[in-house]
Amino acid sequence: MNTGFYWILKALLSHYWRHPWQTLFLTIGLVAGVGLWSAVQIINQHAEASYQQAQSLLGAQASHWIRSRRDEGIDQATYIELRRAGFRQVIPVIELEVSTAAGVSISIIATDLLALPETVFDGEQSTQDFSRTWLEFVQPPYRAWVPAVLAAELDLEEGTQLELRDGRKLPTALIQAREQQGRRVLVDIGAAMSLSGSNRFNYLGVGEITPAEYARLAASLPGSLELIENQQHLDLQDLTASLHSHLTAMSLLSFAVGLFIVFNAVRFSLWYRRATLLDLRLMGCDLRHLLAAILLETLVWSLIGTALGFVLGVALAQVLLPGLGASLQSLYDATVDAELGLSPWTLMQAWSITLIGLLWALTWPLYRQLQRSSFEAGSTDVMLADETTARRRLAFAALLLACLAWIAYAQIETVTQGFVVLGMILFAAAWILPFLLAQVLSLVGSLLPQRYLLGRWMISDGWSQLPALRSAMMALLLALTANLGVGSLVDSFRDAFVGWLEVRQSADIYLRATNLDYQQLEMNEINASWLADSNHRIGVSTRWGGRPALIRGTNPVAPDSTVFPLSRWQGDSPASALKAWREQPGKVLVNEQVHFLAGVEIGESIALPTDKGLRDFEVVGVFYDYGNPYFQFYLPDHVVASNWSHHYSRGIALWLNPQNKNAMQQAEASLKALGAQPGDWISQAQIRRLSIGIFDRTFAITAAMNLLTMIVAAIALLASLLAILHERMPQFAQWRALGLRQSEQLLLVATPLLVFCAIVWLLSIPLGALLSWILIHKLNIISFGWSMPLVWEIGPALQLAVVVFLICAVTLLSISFQWRRQMPQALAQLGETV
Amino acid sequence: MTRLLTLISAVLLGLAAEAQDVLGDLRDQGLGFAQVTPGKVLEFPRDHRAHPDYRIEWWYLTANLSDHEGRHWGLQWTLFRQALSPEQAAAGWQSNQIWMAHAAITTPDGHFHAQRFARGGIGQAGVTRISRDGYFNAWMDDWQWRSSSAGLFPAELRFTIGEREIILALEATGPLVANGINGYSQKSAQGQASYYYSQPHIRVSGLVRQGSDKTDLSGQGWLDREWSSQALAENQQGWDWFSLHLNDGHKLMVYQLRHDDGDHWLSGNWITPQGATRLLDRSAINLSSIRTSAIETGADQTRELPLEWRLSLVKQKRSWRIRPLYDQQWMGTSIPYWEGVVLVEDDQGNPAGVGYMELIGYQ
Repeated sequence: MNTGFYWILKALLSHYWRHPWQTLFLTIGLVAGVGLWSAVQIINQHAEASYQQAQSLLGAQASHWIRSRRDEGIDQATYIELRRAGFRQVIPVIELEVSTAAGVSISIIATDLLALPETVFDGEQSTQDFSRTWLEFVQPPYRAWVPAVLAAELDLEEGTQLELRDGRKLPTALIQAREQQGRRVLVDIGAAMSLSGSNRFNYLGVGEITPAEYARLAASLPGSLELIENQQHLDLQDLTASLHSHLTAMSLLSFAVGLFIVFNAVRFSLWYRRATLLDLRLMGCDLRHLLAAILLETLVWSLIGTALGFVLGVALAQVLLPGLGASLQSLYDATVDAELGLSPWTLMQAWSITLIGLLWALTWPLYRQLQRSSFEAGSTDVMLADETTARRRLAFAALLLACLAWIAYAQIETVTQGFVVLGMILFAAAWILPFLLAQVLSLVGSLLPQRYLLGRWMISDGWSQLPALRSAMMALLLALTANLGVGSLVDSFRDAFVGWLEVRQSADIYLRATNLDYQQLEMNEINASWLADSNHRIGVSTRWGGRPALIRGTNPVAPDSTVFPLSRWQGDSPASALKAWREQPGKVLVNEQVHFLAGVEIGESIALPTDKGLRDFEVVGVFYDYGNPYFQFYLPDHVVASNWSHHYSRGIALWLNPQNKNAMQQAEASLKALGAQPGDWISQAQIRRLSIGIFDRTFAITAAMNLLTMIVAAIALLASLLAILHERMPQFAQWRALGLRQSEQLLLVATPLLVFCAIVWLLSIPLGALLSWILIHKLNIISFGWSMPLVWEIGPALQLAVVVFLICAVTLLSISFQWRRQMPQALAQLGETV
Repeated sequence: MTRLLTLISAVLLGLAAEAQDVLGDLRDQGLGFAQVTPGKVLEFPRDHRAHPDYRIEWWYLTANLSDHEGRHWGLQWTLFRQALSPEQAAAGWQSNQIWMAHAAITTPDGHFHAQRFARGGIGQAGVTRISRDGYFNAWMDDWQWRSSSAGLFPAELRFTIGEREIILALEATGPLVANGINGYSQKSAQGQASYYYSQPHIRVSGLVRQGSDKTDLSGQGWLDREWSSQALAENQQGWDWFSLHLNDGHKLMVYQLRHDDGDHWLSGNWITPQGATRLLDRSAINLSSIRTSAIETGADQTRELPLEWRLSLVKQKRSWRIRPLYDQQWMGTSIPYWEGVVLVEDDQGNPAGVGYMELIGYQ
């Protein structure tokens, strides 16, 4: 580096320590944008890495599963027979869902650590890890290995026992986890059998297996069991892709909002450095040197932004991961490691995106500044003319973008394309905003009577604020629109979901134990006093259209089968479609996922794999099926029983006699007498609470991202106003010298600001509605295959108006505080500065 | 033999958190477990089966074999049982019994080993009579010793080491021999002891199959049965153990428990071709190492081990040089040790027999 370059760099960078507020806001913008973006990236990549590991089971390979065809589990004798036949790849697994005394649902996974392949021990650092910890794990009174994150959430300390809802306790907790344990509690098979009251395994995991051994294993299995390839990692990637795309889109929006702050800060830094740049050019500095110095500055900022932003991202990811992990576990059965794994690749991506963002926000305007002739660069007229031109260009670009979005909208086929269109709409709105604000100012200006001087003054002050507030207003518009749009999506979904739960889960009790004699329950006259109705559901798991699918058999005249919530149906009404389904052979009801994701229409025939090969069924209805990532088909139970011999029980739904006040107690007593264990049944209230809990947890991350984006937008507004204040201090001093009171000054500045904010807010309402309309009617359907009516309420918009007003109030308060502090000095410098 | 006492206790009991003191548990008093006392009369076939009230136990077979070219081969198959607590063993998954199995093969091309674990109570591993026919059966997964009588022999042993499948027919050609005093084998002056008997006269024939390659093998085997609740004294670091098949038909078992102060505990059994035994105490045995060698024990890891020995029996006025078939017969199991085929030479350097050697507790 030669001396000249060093001095250029020093002169340029000196700006940042002479204006620490600018530096701070630039940093905040960068860090907030990078932080929010990288938080989601870290979570997505972490989840992705966890899905990849779905090929393994607690550190051991699991290329296949052995499952009961009738979902009856696997007995110990079969497992031991397989081991004694030399299939040492086979590992027993029990999975349980339990509720803690505090009502938190937790997943338990159990295996026999000693049955895991030898290689798993080799990695365990032999003696130490294989020592007391393991042996305490495998023998009574056992230990429960709880991941640190889960223990913290449950407020569970090592050495204590977690109490369950039914009063039983888990084995003493050890804060420890194995690979792929995720957020689950790991216990020994023996402990799990005590908890479940069953001596059967849910399934057997099969480790790496040669083709010859595979054939021998398949031949060794009894007919009631099946050997299934573990496609979980592929399925999970497929099923969760949309969810992760949604998160990515939100993180990009946050990044964009952060970038607006950067852009804003850069504009001010440029304004302040006009003189410096002019001096440097006049002193004969080489343009290439100036450019190199700017690039170096960009690089330094990108490194600072990435480093701090990434730290923020990791912290945010750690806060958001538990909720998302729990949802992924509940919805997709996906195990996401509780401990966050970081990859250097994410860091590199964060740095690249920051650098690109900075090159756009900092380098290009600075370069343009340099391109100008030396004298032109410093002129205020030029800046103002620039501003008008910029507004027009932006408006033109916005119109172009809006047209493109309009054309592209019809072509949307994938989630990514959908988000690109959404991005185009949002940016078109943001870009046209300065033009609209200017138009409103002009209009108001022309409408104001000539004699209303204060009003005219306010309008002119608005003109002078507009360039400075431009980016902040765009950021605010994006944040408000996103907030309203996504908020409305979540509200619509919640409304639809709750309504759907009421219809689908109308029974009072759901009994899940599959080893009981349901017929005795239904037929026994003793139960007639409390039992009004029942529906014993059966099912078959299969694959259809490349995805896991469920074929369900239900009693067609049961209370919940006669009111299927259909979104599409054949014939005149849902009732006639259901009648046809009930009474005519070969009719099937499919879930919306089959309709939207596999493109199956009413009246079409679909081929399902039965015992006797493929059999065609005609689709007579499409039912809402929220929260289900799989394809699902409903048939009358006798049809399932006659076509799939290996169907299994999916439990029974029981309706209590409304006339009998003690029906619930009597029902529980009857179930116990039948051999059901506490925990085998769940009441309607519990299942609804659980379902809505999962729903709310899933959208917690959305709410968090929304809030953070709003905070970023608020910071942008504050940063801009403080910059304006600083810049215009000499002007305000002049006003004061002319006799204007501080309250009048504040009114002058605040009115245009409030007008701008009000316009932005007003604009955000239709835009938010548009956003949520596209999210619900296009993206949600492409992503998840769920449709729902759009619920639009003014309440959230009014709440946001209050939030915006509060942001303005806080900013104005801080301005008046700054005025008070800086005014005396500004007054003293009056003669020098102008 | 006292052999892998370390392994079973340190690995399975898992109390050996300090890697330097892997034998620590063996020094535990074993309170609450059944204790080894002098005067007990061993009863067969009952004592072939498991003794779950004792803390540790094993069924330990070694075999010196040769192929049709006369090349030396060796096989080791061991089943270890460990009671984790003194309570009576419960059935099912609540069982306090844990099993470990080791297998190793010494081939002309190298030494290979395998290790397995299983819990008791569920039928994955065990030593019982098969209820159907009352025959002796010891197994873990598909590794299996199946006798065609209530006794240990004749039997078929099947196991695998990696891709190699080993099938052996085992036949006893002499009587069982009790070690120590009628099977009470003392391990220190402080009273540590085990019940210990052997079958040193086993005719072995069988094959090793790897893919389409098959090698027929035959030779002689040695089975050790031992159980105890406390085996090592506070000042014992490890041991060196030998089981030798001498060409004149005699069998010799010698072990040395190494003491911190160098005053080692030596014991042995001199067995005639007819099966008569003579207990060898420390004054009857001279045992000294004559060559140490560094062998590879892992990636970039070596250990210095005494691989060649001079062994003399005072009363028998016999002396031998014992050297490994080759040095690299390392068991890289959870707790590692050296166990492998040795060749026995007389003072003139003539072949005098074959056997197995175990070295444990060397750092």
